[in-house]
Amino acid sequence: MELIEELKLKVIEALNLEDMKPEDIDPDAPLFGDEGLGLDSIDVLELIVLMERNYGIRISDSKTGKEIFASLRTMADFVSKNRTK
Amino acid sequence: MIEGCFKILHSVSLSPGLALLDGRKLFSSPGSANFLSDLYHHLRAEYPKFFKMDVLCKTGFLAAEILLEAEKAERFVMRNDRAVLLCNASSSITTDRKFIEGIANIDDFYPQPSLFVYTLPNIVTGEIAIRNKFSGETSLYVIEKRDDGILSSLIERAFTDDETLSAVAGWVDASSDSEYEAELFLINKHL
Amino acid sequence: MMEVVKVSDNIISPLGFSVEENYEAVMSGKSALRLYEGLWGLPFPFVASMLDDSLLDDEFRKCADVSRLPYGNFTRFEKAALLSAIKALESASVDTESARALFILSTTKGNVELLGGGSPSLARVRLASTASMISRYFRNPNQPIVVSNACISGLCAQIEAMRCIRSGHYDCCVVTGADVLSPFIVSGFNCLKALSDEPCRPFSANRKGLNLGEAAATVVYSASGSDSRQWRIASGAVRNDANHISGPSRTGDGSFAALDYAVRHSGCLPSDLAFLNVHGTATPYNDEMESVAIGRAGLEDVPVNALKGYFGHTLGAAGVLEVLLSMHSVEQGVILPTRGFDTLGVSVNLNVSDQPVETCKKSFAKLLSGFGGCNAAAVFTKSGKS
Repeated sequence: MELIEELKLKVIEALNLEDMKPEDIDPDAPLFGDEGLGLDSIDVLELIVLMERNYGIRISDSKTGKEIFASLRTMADFVSKNRTK
Repeated sequence: MIEGCFKILHSVSLSPGLALLDGRKLFSSPGSANFLSDLYHHLRAEYPKFFKMDVLCKTGFLAAEILLEAEKAERFVMRNDRAVLLCNASSSITTDRKFIEGIANIDDFYPQPSLFVYTLPNIVTGEIAIRNKFSGETSLYVIEKRDDGILSSLIERAFTDDETLSAVAGWVDASSDSEYEAELFLINKHL
Repeated sequence: MMEVVKVSDNIISPLGFSVEENYEAVMSGKSALRLYEGLWGLPFPFVASMLDDSLLDDEFRKCADVSRLPYGNFTRFEKAALLSAIKALESASVDTESARALFILSTTKGNVELLGGGSPSLARVRLASTASMISRYFRNPNQPIVVSNACISGLCAQIEAMRCIRSGHYDCCVVTGADVLSPFIVSGFNCLKALSDEPCRPFSANRKGLNLGEAAATVVYSASGSDSRQWRIASGAVRNDANHISGPSRTGDGSFAALDYAVRHSGCLPSDLAFLNVHGTATPYNDEMESVAIGRAGLEDVPVNALKGYFGHTLGAAGVLEVLLSMHSVEQGVILPTRGFDTLGVSVNLNVSDQPVETCKKSFAKLLSGFGGCNAAAVFTKSGKS
């Protein structure tokens, strides 16, 4: 649970979601597409950088990235299983 | 002042702390460190992508918002006859400086994709085209210093494209996060 | 109508320092793409086409008139761009000192590498400063224009030249397109996951991305009467997808609109076109988008080629370099092969040339697209009719 809250702050910072507060983000809402946060392809790349820089996780292509970044909860699950720092 | 074989419908001037529409004060916030965000909220643009933009794009985007609201026509209707023609001196230098910081240290090497995209100065023309569904020409020119004669000629020549009947055109420059200026015009071609 | 004709040209690339040398290299199947590992200390290998520093320097010293140079120490970018302009103008009978001549520079990042170092001078990071250095070298009195429309800049600069001359604003335009590589550009494209770690494979099913390249190319356009047998730029247009700042439109809207406009306004029929020389960066999205645009324009029967397999993506130079090689190939009656192409991997059944093919047609269309959602197309012709 704590990890989800931490990720919310990091995602808001990394993606410049200046108009959003952590409590606005539903951990199960889709991050991409027209609903939820409505992130795009550049955001995926930005999240890949976030994962490597903060948790030491390398994601080589953005297609697998899309599954990992389906929602904040899937992202948190992936981090807790794969983090190296 | 730009002039040529075209008609200026509205003009917007934007500088830190002050936005003018057709020479009259539209919004001011002297001394504000977040003037561009203040202006965004004042305009109620409701476009969250604004916060992802760099200073050059924010400046151009807001100036275009003011111009196109002033037009009082239905907005966000796809049109291929309106061009976005912008000119500056500093290219994308503000974001260039930030991007290079991320690659300066090989032990902490994290080039940022979202920054790199904004190291192209023409992205501001694309942001305005995307927001407003303008599928006409978009062009960005860089000159050594502002020269309205050059700007006027560039606009006149863009109208030689016979599908281009209207343009959001002018000067938009950002040499740092706190030093930015725009003077944009909504222009129709003389038929 | 006033015709806009090519009076001179040059290409500076790793494959040669003239259009002819570059053409011969391409015809003999050479590519300048090499694998670079550890270059500039970058933590990843990359494939690119890079100018040889000592060859560039020797040629620059040989050709440049020292008395006209404003400073002694030139960057690779400045050397390549100025050398190309010098070589193009040495054989052209145009009056560059006239106020009726305009210099146009096409570049994306110019001297951006100077931001990292500090010397020779930070002021020279400014794109217009290189443009002015070139125009002053030729004692031109006008403030030059830099076109910086991402990857389509080189074609936009030629379209601007066409407009300058047709509108009567100028009699002559010297268009130089140039970009060099640096940690800035290479790590930028790498973090966008746009680079292939192998030589690129335009339009192929197994394409993985693009390679970057360094080059400078110059074309000089001049006003002429309508009976000319020289190369003419017949028409051109720039259109935006109005879709996304970094991803091409899946429906190819802007590319289609630009291509459609250029062909309709060229005085050429689709059957007059020897080929479409397209962007063909070999990224999955770009090539697919171009195929859709070509299909929508009803041009899928026209042969298609792309030159990135020889030179990589030369950014601000690409539009000039690729047009000049296309012109030269038409003069030789040849459609150049698309190096790196194997099995078609786009949704429209394009006729991608993979071998040199003979042609007797005298016109071609050029297509480019870039970040910011921009697209450009132009038609060039050497046919007698206008």
